[in-house]
Amino acid sequence: MRNRVRELRHEHGLSQAALGAALGVSRQTVNSIETGRYLPSLPLALAIARHFDLIVEEIFDVDE
Amino acid sequence: MSTNDTPQRTRQTWVVPGFAVAAGIAYLIAGIVGDEVGFGIFGLVLMVSLAVGVLAFRRHSETVQGLLDRRDERLVQIDVKATAFAGSVVIAAILIAFIVEIARGHDGDPYAALGAIGGVAYLAAVVWYRLRG
Repeated sequence: MRNRVRELRHEHGLSQAALGAALGVSRQTVNSIETGRYLPSLPLALAIARHFDLIVEEIFDVDE
Repeated sequence: MSTNDTPQRTRQTWVVPGFAVAAGIAYLIAGIVGDEVGFGIFGLVLMVSLAVGVLAFRRHSETVQGLLDRRDERLVQIDVKATAFAGSVVIAAILIAFIVEIARGHDGDPYAALGAIGGVAYLAAVVWYRLRG
């Protein structure tokens, strides 16, 4: 899976810690999601999408 | 999924330290009952120190904090995987010890009973989680 979390976070001027606090997860988890080392659960993916006012498919996509 | 702080998560933070203190008290009682008061006091001091150390260290480590309050799904997954790994190591050690005891001409106790408990617990867990979907 690839995702646009880092790109969106930068666009919104957020640090990893700030995004983590908003989502209720640690900075480490945000970093792991951004680097593709951790695939978030569906509820967390939805929370990320809602935080950026997008839908999940606009953030997460399968590697072709 | 993660949520904001709730009383439930606050209580969750105290589970591990509380368990450590309870274990320390159990060590103390066992030591007194078994006429090994020194062991009991050492056990209590060790476990209370562990509880205090964990609570103090959580302010400096996201990982420790996450393992305590369980609000971060990734850290919960890490905890589950680490627990499964540790359980596998213990089961392997029990099986090896059982085989060694049999090879020595003994009856395999207490490792046979411990292995049986592990096997039954695994099967019960499979059935439980299978029924829960």
